[in-house]
Amino acid sequence: MSGRYDVIVVGAGHNGLTAACYLAKRGLKTLVLERSDWIGGAAVSRELYEGWTYSNCSYVCSLLRPEVVRDLDLPRHGLQVIPYESGATFTRDGGYFAYYSDHDALRREISRFLRRDADNYERYARAVMRQCRFIKPLLMRAAPDPVSNRPRDIAELLFLGKRFHDLGDREMGETIRFWTMSIGEFLDEYFETDVIKAHFAGSGIIGTGLGVYSPGTAYVLLHHYMGEVDGTIGAWGFTRGGMGGVTQAMARALIEAGGEIRAGAGVAQILSKDGKTKGVVLDNGDVLEASTVISNMDVKRTFLNHVEAKDLPDDFVKAVKRFKIRGSSAKLNIALDGFPSFPAAPAGAPFLKGDLHASESLDELERAYDDWKAGRWSSDPYFDMLIPTCIDPTMAPPGKHMMTVFVQYAPYELASGESWDGPARDRMAETVIAKIAEHSPDFRDLILHKEVRTPWDIEREVGLTEGNIFQGELTFDQMFFNRPVPGYADYRTPIKGLYLCGSSSHPGGGVMAAPGANAAREVLRDLGMKVSGLTPAERAA
Amino acid sequence: MTRYDAIVIGAGHNGLTAAGVLARGGRRVLVLEKNAGLGGAAAGYEIAPGFQAPRYAHLLHAWHPQIEKQLDLAANGLSFARRDLPTLALAEDGAHVVIEGGAARLLSGAAHPDAAAYATLHRRLVRFAGVLSAKLLETPPQFHRPDWRDLASLAKLGFDVRRLGAADAREFLRVLLSNARDVILDEIGDGPLAGALALDAVMGGHTGPRSPGTALTLLYRLAQGGGRHLPKGGMAAFCTALAQSAQSHGAEIRRSAGVAAVTVENDRVTGVLLDSGETLGAPVVLSSLDTRTTLALTGVEHFDAEAVRRVRHIRCKGATAKLNLALSGLPAFTGVDPDDLTGRILVAPSVQSLETGFDAVKYGELPAHPALEVLIPSRLDPTLVDGGGHVMSIIVQYVPYHLKDGWTAGARERLAATVLDLLERHAPGLRSLIVAQDVLTPLDIERETGAPGGHWHHGELAVDQMLTLRPVNGMARYALPVGGLYLCGAAAHPGGDIIGAAGHNAARQAMKAPQTKTEGHAA
Repeated sequence: MSGRYDVIVVGAGHNGLTAACYLAKRGLKTLVLERSDWIGGAAVSRELYEGWTYSNCSYVCSLLRPEVVRDLDLPRHGLQVIPYESGATFTRDGGYFAYYSDHDALRREISRFLRRDADNYERYARAVMRQCRFIKPLLMRAAPDPVSNRPRDIAELLFLGKRFHDLGDREMGETIRFWTMSIGEFLDEYFETDVIKAHFAGSGIIGTGLGVYSPGTAYVLLHHYMGEVDGTIGAWGFTRGGMGGVTQAMARALIEAGGEIRAGAGVAQILSKDGKTKGVVLDNGDVLEASTVISNMDVKRTFLNHVEAKDLPDDFVKAVKRFKIRGSSAKLNIALDGFPSFPAAPAGAPFLKGDLHASESLDELERAYDDWKAGRWSSDPYFDMLIPTCIDPTMAPPGKHMMTVFVQYAPYELASGESWDGPARDRMAETVIAKIAEHSPDFRDLILHKEVRTPWDIEREVGLTEGNIFQGELTFDQMFFNRPVPGYADYRTPIKGLYLCGSSSHPGGGVMAAPGANAAREVLRDLGMKVSGLTPAERAA
Repeated sequence: MTRYDAIVIGAGHNGLTAAGVLARGGRRVLVLEKNAGLGGAAAGYEIAPGFQAPRYAHLLHAWHPQIEKQLDLAANGLSFARRDLPTLALAEDGAHVVIEGGAARLLSGAAHPDAAAYATLHRRLVRFAGVLSAKLLETPPQFHRPDWRDLASLAKLGFDVRRLGAADAREFLRVLLSNARDVILDEIGDGPLAGALALDAVMGGHTGPRSPGTALTLLYRLAQGGGRHLPKGGMAAFCTALAQSAQSHGAEIRRSAGVAAVTVENDRVTGVLLDSGETLGAPVVLSSLDTRTTLALTGVEHFDAEAVRRVRHIRCKGATAKLNLALSGLPAFTGVDPDDLTGRILVAPSVQSLETGFDAVKYGELPAHPALEVLIPSRLDPTLVDGGGHVMSIIVQYVPYHLKDGWTAGARERLAATVLDLLERHAPGLRSLIVAQDVLTPLDIERETGAPGGHWHHGELAVDQMLTLRPVNGMARYALPVGGLYLCGAAAHPGGDIIGAAGHNAARQAMKAPQTKTEGHAA
């Protein structure tokens, strides 16, 4: 079997689908190929235990760019995001610190620990919000190449310079500090209470191979703060029906626009000749022709596994090999027979509907990172635990619950040389479960089924190298014009007609869909199609 | 009341440098030193009768040749026992590595398997460091309302980066904010050679090779090519030359004259009050102390709340200790010819071992295997010891300032024992040669030199505390918000090590202001 398309997208993750939607809407004959029998990449809902829907990779929604939601009309296609408005960190002494998105409630809660921290929270919140405002307009633009002389790059650099200059004297310095500091040191400047710092610090390390005291993690916090739910900046929510709701809505938008999706169709090789893209060969041998191929896979997987190395410059291959995609997270998805009790929480505590943690100091978080550096999973791990069925009852039978536990840190390679596929997997899960059970005595007995996802599982199933959720570390040397490879930050690659649209590209990971939208725009540019008016961000540019 | 054009607090190498520059600018300068000896962290001392040892710093590292020339240090007695010392990186398995600039070879004479890759990496990093080193002798630019000088400096930086060529310029921008571990291990295998380079990146700091930003500190160390020089007569002779250079142009230096307060009237400094109760007048005061102490001496009421808060949050946890030994003879290092003991001897067997060392120090623990930079200055300069014997100076990286159970006598002994055990593995019998020993914990270094936290940069050299953010956002141009008050020490741009740049730049900045000459006191 063969066929001809204008555009082939390799991988039906949220970025691949987003790119495909934008292009199909412009009348291009677009095909999305997905290796798995289901679509969604890391934004999926799967029934892995009868009656329960697991968001078995990404689990909460916030970063999805509102421009994309509007452009693709996702709510009409079924996307519904319900915000959760609180969270908590349990402490070993039987107490807790609760986070509320309601400002006054949060102030009262912080004051319970230290009045000074409550006052400083005002300054902290303003500082983070200022950085959110600064970064937002940069998300939906291609990063300029600072050493190019192309008018467009120079114009973009001037735009950046002007934005930076407009911050004013004080804020310019504060911005450089924020972007280069560690989240631990940033929080140390504002708060004194350990558990409060630990609660906020979690966002600075999720998904990274960095510790709370590694410079650059303040930015990672921002990366988790710059999203919004219904216009509320920094809010996070559950997608009705699990995270698959995002990609299902995108798929519907794509079909409506005339695009095509083929699941169970893995791409063996991206074909090129004389430096130009020719199409793809599927695992089953089928050849599909297209002069434009967009890869939703990470940069390493794309170029080291699916493109002939002889078609690529040596320097480029070296840079791709050097790109750091470090597995650092694991996940537990658990079907529960009922709602676990948390004796520390007052009856009906609203924060049980949000993100729950049990790491109570920055040192505890840093030690968890030290374990990872030494090639062990954290003996006292950080986790981000949610029970989405509190808000979205569609995910489990009535009265039953589904729990998602994101675990940090778990290395891709265990120093002991053990395989993740052996007993190590269950031992790691037990470490996490034991820590949860410290705060919920009946939790263990309520477990009906659990899915343990090690970095190996995430890599095998979703295709993310080392199971890294961001398709590449979010460190300065891999951000903005350095992402994924200096000189190729504009979604283009050394092969004409081959583009990257995954989280390996600017602005990076999270269910954001910005790389997909940005890549689509570059494709349109190269095809000589008008791009103005494509997105509101474009109009602003 | 005696009046001066400028008073410099602290006779460390930056204070003396500032005094030398000011004196050459025709200012009547007084340098006040709390201690009886000169030199601050660059001081030398007699560890045992007839044994001259460097007390803290033991080499001139990236010492700026332009300052050396400007202050006529050669004419004032500075000469070198040796410039560009070689490095001997000790390996657990005896495959020691000799490093001279970008050339690495095994001590056995065999080629190092990573020699070519190391040479390429070193050349590239030195080139990148060259782009930045021009900024060492400049006042950090102001971005918001830049004057022509700031714009020229920024434009020159942009031009210098572009001049690297597209590929290298991109690589420069990638490496700049990366971490030392990745920059090194992307090119060469982990081992003593990689460990030596990584130690350069982290030494003196509270940071590990995996921490982003350490690539920049590595470039900082490679400015001027990264050479390290041993002054003839030791660090004491170097400080004497600096002092003479200032005095030869009329500067006065008073020892044992601690400053109790900087006096201020109408938001301008008027002089200083000494511990003795004496007051000295000057319209300009340069402090080579750290920022927090300088604010405290001046009175925090003269600074706005935000400035004070920022200063309070400067990170300065020292992680470096010192062990000085007087030895009855030259220790024998297994498999090392005495002729190969003339340079730096490093015990930093791998990048990984450094990271493990840093892990301990994060929690206030003493690592089992700290990294060491050992120097036997008497090997090159016999004048340091009367009669036979040698002095050994050991910088111990990754010793916490806040040791968990405090720096008790037992803890200090444990530190010395840890270091000596580590060295005895390579130099068996070292202990039997010890005539005298001094352990200087970060706490001791703080007490003696005033360096906060015992941190030899007076504040962590991290990206968020560099350049326009050093010491803090809004105070990066040496002048503090009180009129006539300047920072001239390691706390200010560009930071520590024996470079002299902070003192030089601060003095220049102070002379730009119109009020730095008192009527009737022209020199």
